[in-house]
Amino acid sequence: MAAPFRVSASRSSGYTPAMLRFITRRVLLTIPVLIGIVFVVFAVARILPGDPCKAALGERATEARCALFRERFGLDEPIPVQFGIYLSDLSRGDLGTSISQGVPVSDMLVQRLPLTLELTFFALALAASLGILLGVAAAARRNSAVDVATMVGANLGISTPVFVLGLLLIFIFAVVLRDTPFVLPPGGRLTAGVTIIPLTESWGLTELEGPLRIVVDFFSNMYLLNSLITGQWEVLGDALRHLILPAVALATIPLSIIARITRSSLLDVLGQDYIRTARAKGLSEQRVVLRHGLRNAILPVVTVIGLSLGSLLAGAVLTESIFGLTGLGRTITDAVLARDYAVVQGLTLVTAVIYVLVNLIVDISYGYLDPRIRLQ
Amino acid sequence: MQRWRTFSILVALGLVVAACTTTSTSQEPSGSAEPSTPESMAPFVATSYPADGPADCAYGGEFSQITAVDEFTVRFDLCYPDPAFLAKIAFTANAINDTAWLEANMVNHLILARPNGTGPYKFKEYVRGDHITLEKFDGYWGDAAIAQEVIFQWNSEAAARLLALQAGTVDGIDNPGTDDFPVIEGDANLALEPREALNVFYVGITNTYAPWDNELVRQAVGLGIDRQRIVDNFYPAGSTVADYFSPAALAYASEGAAWPDFDPTAAKAKLAEAGFPDGFDTTIFYRDVVRSYLPTPGLVAADIQNQLLVNLNIRADIVVQDSGTFIDNSSQGLLNGLHLLGWGADYPDTSNFLDYHFNNPANLQFGTIDSSVSDAIAAGGQTLDPAARAAAYGDANTALVETVPMIPIAHGGSGAAFRADVAGAHSSPLGNEYFAVMDPGGRSTMVWMQNSYPISLYCADETDGETLRVCEQVMEALYSYSIGGTDAVPQLAEECVGNDDLTSFTCTLRQGVSFHDGSHFDANDVVASYAVQWDAAHPLHIGRTGSFEYFAAFFAQFLNAPE
Repeated sequence: MAAPFRVSASRSSGYTPAMLRFITRRVLLTIPVLIGIVFVVFAVARILPGDPCKAALGERATEARCALFRERFGLDEPIPVQFGIYLSDLSRGDLGTSISQGVPVSDMLVQRLPLTLELTFFALALAASLGILLGVAAAARRNSAVDVATMVGANLGISTPVFVLGLLLIFIFAVVLRDTPFVLPPGGRLTAGVTIIPLTESWGLTELEGPLRIVVDFFSNMYLLNSLITGQWEVLGDALRHLILPAVALATIPLSIIARITRSSLLDVLGQDYIRTARAKGLSEQRVVLRHGLRNAILPVVTVIGLSLGSLLAGAVLTESIFGLTGLGRTITDAVLARDYAVVQGLTLVTAVIYVLVNLIVDISYGYLDPRIRLQ
Repeated sequence: MQRWRTFSILVALGLVVAACTTTSTSQEPSGSAEPSTPESMAPFVATSYPADGPADCAYGGEFSQITAVDEFTVRFDLCYPDPAFLAKIAFTANAINDTAWLEANMVNHLILARPNGTGPYKFKEYVRGDHITLEKFDGYWGDAAIAQEVIFQWNSEAAARLLALQAGTVDGIDNPGTDDFPVIEGDANLALEPREALNVFYVGITNTYAPWDNELVRQAVGLGIDRQRIVDNFYPAGSTVADYFSPAALAYASEGAAWPDFDPTAAKAKLAEAGFPDGFDTTIFYRDVVRSYLPTPGLVAADIQNQLLVNLNIRADIVVQDSGTFIDNSSQGLLNGLHLLGWGADYPDTSNFLDYHFNNPANLQFGTIDSSVSDAIAAGGQTLDPAARAAAYGDANTALVETVPMIPIAHGGSGAAFRADVAGAHSSPLGNEYFAVMDPGGRSTMVWMQNSYPISLYCADETDGETLRVCEQVMEALYSYSIGGTDAVPQLAEECVGNDDLTSFTCTLRQGVSFHDGSHFDANDVVASYAVQWDAAHPLHIGRTGSFEYFAAFFAQFLNAPE
């Protein structure tokens, strides 16, 4: 009952060692998970029906030509040998080369992941902030018009297919509102003709190479970050405008879920004895709800946000397709269809690593938000 | 906020400091093409391939030797006559590269991302996953491009492409959805350009199985399927009933007898005459793969099943096979029944349709082809004389109607759409819309949205239309296809003349042509561009996959192909 009031005290006593042990244990647990992922992804890619040669060269490709193709990409080796080569390459940080596009998977990652990260974080920020706000408003005014409207909206949001919502948003904001100040672009990352100056150019590092080049290019491809830190304001505005519709489409389902979870969790907490005590102390309703209620109701919301972040990273295929964005999800989908093993393996592994890291952060945040967890 | 600001500064500082300690080298190519080697000032030395004399034609391919006769003359010596030679060399996969560019950029794969052609547009940038920008080439030998830049974007969703066009963020789109054709036609701000089909969907019959070995049975089925109904119900606007096996856009395609009209009464009579008044049991095989010639395979299979039952009392089971299995089984003649298959043009010549299917001993999908068909097709492939070719292919078409190795059903159409103010807008049967002649309403940039991204920009080793379309703006071949059409017309060659038996073609090249990097075009570039594709043992026979599919499809076999 008194737990919420012990939080600040526990920060200064026993917080660091307990949290360190907790974090260390969680980090160590991720290692076997990642090893398992490497095995499973490699195996699943090979189990997929279909021939990479026919997928790449077409259905009329002769067996002789396919033999050459397999030899060139090492697909003629026994599966265990292929796996050994894959592990060896992986240990050197080499994710392989795309069969279908002939470019290193790491290059594709540098090109595609920044878009996915921007879109995901933009969408999740929207979903989390609005979802929590609406959930709190609905719980604080239970059975009011606000509550009903929020829950009806949340149900609509969950049940509307992203495909339909995306096209509807484009139709309204790009076609119907075309000649108004509210017009928004229907897709892509930048308006045709607007170009972003890479960080290497802005910073005079065009001769840079190696891993650092990859890092700089990666951040360079995060258009919002790049334009922000290099002061390309026109590009920043354009990139932001291009992110709005896909982010709204992508955010709708997690927003609805977060709003519902926040509401139900907060309602549960607001019925607790310590809330009654807080009210009895004469605290304002706003302070009771936000300070004492929301803090204790937020744990399941954080869980949902973490899960949403993971699924949004590689699961935004439909949104990316509608808005003509080539992020991780669409790239992996294309690679599966093309039986492009290297890309499927590489990008899935990276997605899994991100997912594991996000879950790690969520787990750690549990310890931060609820002292009982870290003390256990 | 304060934490974020501090973090941002630290990240930026870290990157700068780390970068300053690093040395430099190459990077992913971008920007306009730069010369890879200095322009040679040495006198022209003519080359030939193979350098030591003609190849032994026993290797099975079409070329015997390619010779730079002088700086602006090239001779192709062939192992067998080829009346479609000009149509083949006009294809984008046979575009000409600068010799030095090939040598400098093939082994390191830079050529995949950095094309250097002679076309009206030159490559500017490829932002993978987003767009490609081409810019006007001021040194172009022909009529200058109208728009200063062409930007290629892509979106796999037809509805999203149309919305982008309606929103005015793009000037043209490829392949609007079939349901969107009326929407485009009804919008004064848009213009629809239907694309003539260069494909065919047919019902194949393997005549080595009873009762399909009976010509009357095949003729009965040929009469008993309502092809118009199939086109009306399952094909997009712009599609047509196939009166001939080859699409009407091709020369000589519509010579001879057309396929007879649907006539269920005559069909039943034929079947009774064949000894099957009560029909029989059979199987319809297909693969569930969408193609422009067969956009709804399952529905069409079910409709044909229904038509056979209603019109002829033929009871057919439907068997769906994996695509690879189906193709293998059909080409080996293992499908006892009817099979649903089609063909899209590799190059715009009737021989590409008729030869592969009906004069090709390796293709057993129709069982035994009657000599009246194969002989006529062979005759059409021995001459460039239009009258003789027309007569030969007319005989072949008539023989197909009589012997019914298959039933041609449809030519599947598609289209492109543009903003109404785009002057010079057109669609091409080959999908090679030529943007240099389009004026995007006075705007400086023409923005085109297609279904997908280009895989690489070295199109000798690419096959998909989305990739080839980009190359077609940048690269040029000895011949090209007429704008919006299929006729082979001179491009980098002023003309190519064949000898009497069509086993040698001599091309006179255009003079004063420059590549985008400033190097000059000559006959050795032609020899080199073909040699890297032709010879599997050539050190530059690399490309993206190394398969050079179109070269193999056009010219039969690689020199020094591995066993």
